[in-house]
Amino acid sequence: MKSNRLGWGFLSPTLIILAITGFLPFLYVVYIGFFDWNIFAAQKGLVYTGANNYRRLVFDADFLRSLWYTIKFTFWAVSSELILGFALAQLLTKDFPGKTFFRIIHALPLMIAPIAVGALWRLLVIPGFGPIWYVLEEWFGIEYRIGASTSQAFITTVLMDIWHWTPFVTLTMLAGLTSVPKDPVESAMVDGANQWQVYRYITIPMMMPIILTTVFIRIMDALRIVDEVYMLTGGGPGDATRYIGLHIFRVVFPKTDYGYGSATSLLTLYFTIVFCWLLFVAISTSQKNS
Amino acid sequence: MAKTTSKKTLNWIGTYLVWIVATLVVIIPIYWMFIVSARSRVEMFGAPSLIQTTFFAENYTKPLLNPTFQRYMINSVIIATSNAVLVAVLALIATYALSRWRLPGADNIFFWTITNRMAPPAAFLLPLFLMYTRIFKFGEWTLFDTRLGLILLYCVFNLPFAIWLMKGIMDGIPKELDEAAMVDGAGTWSILLRIIAPLSAPGLAITAILSWVFAWNEYLFAASLTSVEARTITTGLAEFVTVTGTNWGEMAAVAMLALLPALLFLSFVQKYIVMGLTFGAVKE
Amino acid sequence: MDTIMDNTPQTEETPAEFAVAPPHKTRPGFLPIDTNTFDRCFISVVCFVAIHLLWMRFIESFIPLVMATVISLVLAVIIVRWG
Repeated sequence: MKSNRLGWGFLSPTLIILAITGFLPFLYVVYIGFFDWNIFAAQKGLVYTGANNYRRLVFDADFLRSLWYTIKFTFWAVSSELILGFALAQLLTKDFPGKTFFRIIHALPLMIAPIAVGALWRLLVIPGFGPIWYVLEEWFGIEYRIGASTSQAFITTVLMDIWHWTPFVTLTMLAGLTSVPKDPVESAMVDGANQWQVYRYITIPMMMPIILTTVFIRIMDALRIVDEVYMLTGGGPGDATRYIGLHIFRVVFPKTDYGYGSATSLLTLYFTIVFCWLLFVAISTSQKNS
Repeated sequence: MAKTTSKKTLNWIGTYLVWIVATLVVIIPIYWMFIVSARSRVEMFGAPSLIQTTFFAENYTKPLLNPTFQRYMINSVIIATSNAVLVAVLALIATYALSRWRLPGADNIFFWTITNRMAPPAAFLLPLFLMYTRIFKFGEWTLFDTRLGLILLYCVFNLPFAIWLMKGIMDGIPKELDEAAMVDGAGTWSILLRIIAPLSAPGLAITAILSWVFAWNEYLFAASLTSVEARTITTGLAEFVTVTGTNWGEMAAVAMLALLPALLFLSFVQKYIVMGLTFGAVKE
Repeated sequence: MDTIMDNTPQTEETPAEFAVAPPHKTRPGFLPIDTNTFDRCFISVVCFVAIHLLWMRFIESFIPLVMATVISLVLAVIIVRWG
């Protein structure tokens, strides 16, 4: 009765736009990755070089270091957010007056522009008038300079990410906790299980799909962090907080070495996809088991 | 009995205490930025105080009266609004097609739209830049540094979650309504406009608002795919750090302007933010 | 505004995102998970790239890259056929 042609017609604008801005660039980057293309070089056009760009890339210490920083950052940020978010969500499951108010306020960082989050944090840590700087320096006597100390800069970016994204984890965990049925928990309590055992054997296994989904999305987003860190530290001091997205944005992109840049982009994409795919497999396996 | 009551009270106090602390942790940085934006350069330094009685309006008026910055603001509003409208319309008709037709391969398409959102944007900077400057070129005109370029691009980030959100809503609208209207002789377009669109209006509004906010917030592509004409407020904010560097009061004021929409829309969409960020995988 | 939530299908237990993974026929093989053809091709490509990258980094000074290609292709055939 209904022709499929009309259905495709409704779908086609979406597909065309996604193809132009999503799929085509992917094919293009794969293609250019095999060429030498530098508009300021003697030879202006594309020169086929086979895998030379990738050969250079696997020995590129800057690139590999920024990959390693990204993984380190992702690990610390996401694991802290999970623990904090879970604890906070646990406290929100109870009904108490003002709960809605707290929840609304808590969702605020999720809506703020990442670049503004960076600005926000920069204002907190500027030597001279930032409150965090003041407290650490005056009350605890710690010399706090994110422009000079690599470890402090790293910790500050992690803290900023925690500030920005813990609310997200809290809210998803809350959705998970409220969907856990009460009966098994209560009967386990009657049988004399303690709080820890209830978590270990009932709550967490039941929430596993949501926990993994949250981890998945958080890792994806942490791996591609750019704006906040750019605003807070600019990737410095040195390259201590130059995470992979920032590396492409600040170092690779401004150079006109398009072939090498494409190879870098593609390899970043490759690592992200493999990482996410492994997580994805873990999620679907755990879903099948539960 | 009395013991359990006191334990309960303690529990309550504990919960409140933790939540008040958590709320303060969220609020104070934003409040601090507001205070900085209300201070002149002289007031800023010294022991940080959280109390501010004067308001140094120049921090706000100077950027707002600056024609370059005005253009940034206007660009941001135009880009975010057009993107929101475009995303809402596309998501409406796309999910209508996905939910009412049995299209071969539609499940794969559905899945593919999501993978678009998962890729790291930085990896697409260079190819998009090259495509915008070299491939989409008609005579002198390129997509580079145009509002249209950014509007189309932001669809990649916003359409996946919009399709997710709208698909659930679309599947919830009973098919009998369509069929009844069809029996009455209504065409597909009039069904879409008269029945489907009004029924999914609340969902469309949420989709549009979230798309609007995400488009407003975007920085990376706005900075790399524009140079002069189509710059947005987020790039304007970043320029404060790289160019002037030290004018913190003005930077704070611009940052306040950049996060204003978040504050305005928060109470409307706070229930749906999580759904938007997880493409509907997690609902509250 | 709240009414639209009542219409949406309840997907709290299984996140919808992963429920839509294309429902192709999967079968067990020597790989630790059940896979369909697309999965096996994907795994082959991932291995292909990984082998080449590692080869270029560590082994290419001794053995040319062609060997990596041969090994990867053999591995790809094995994965697609029996994985």
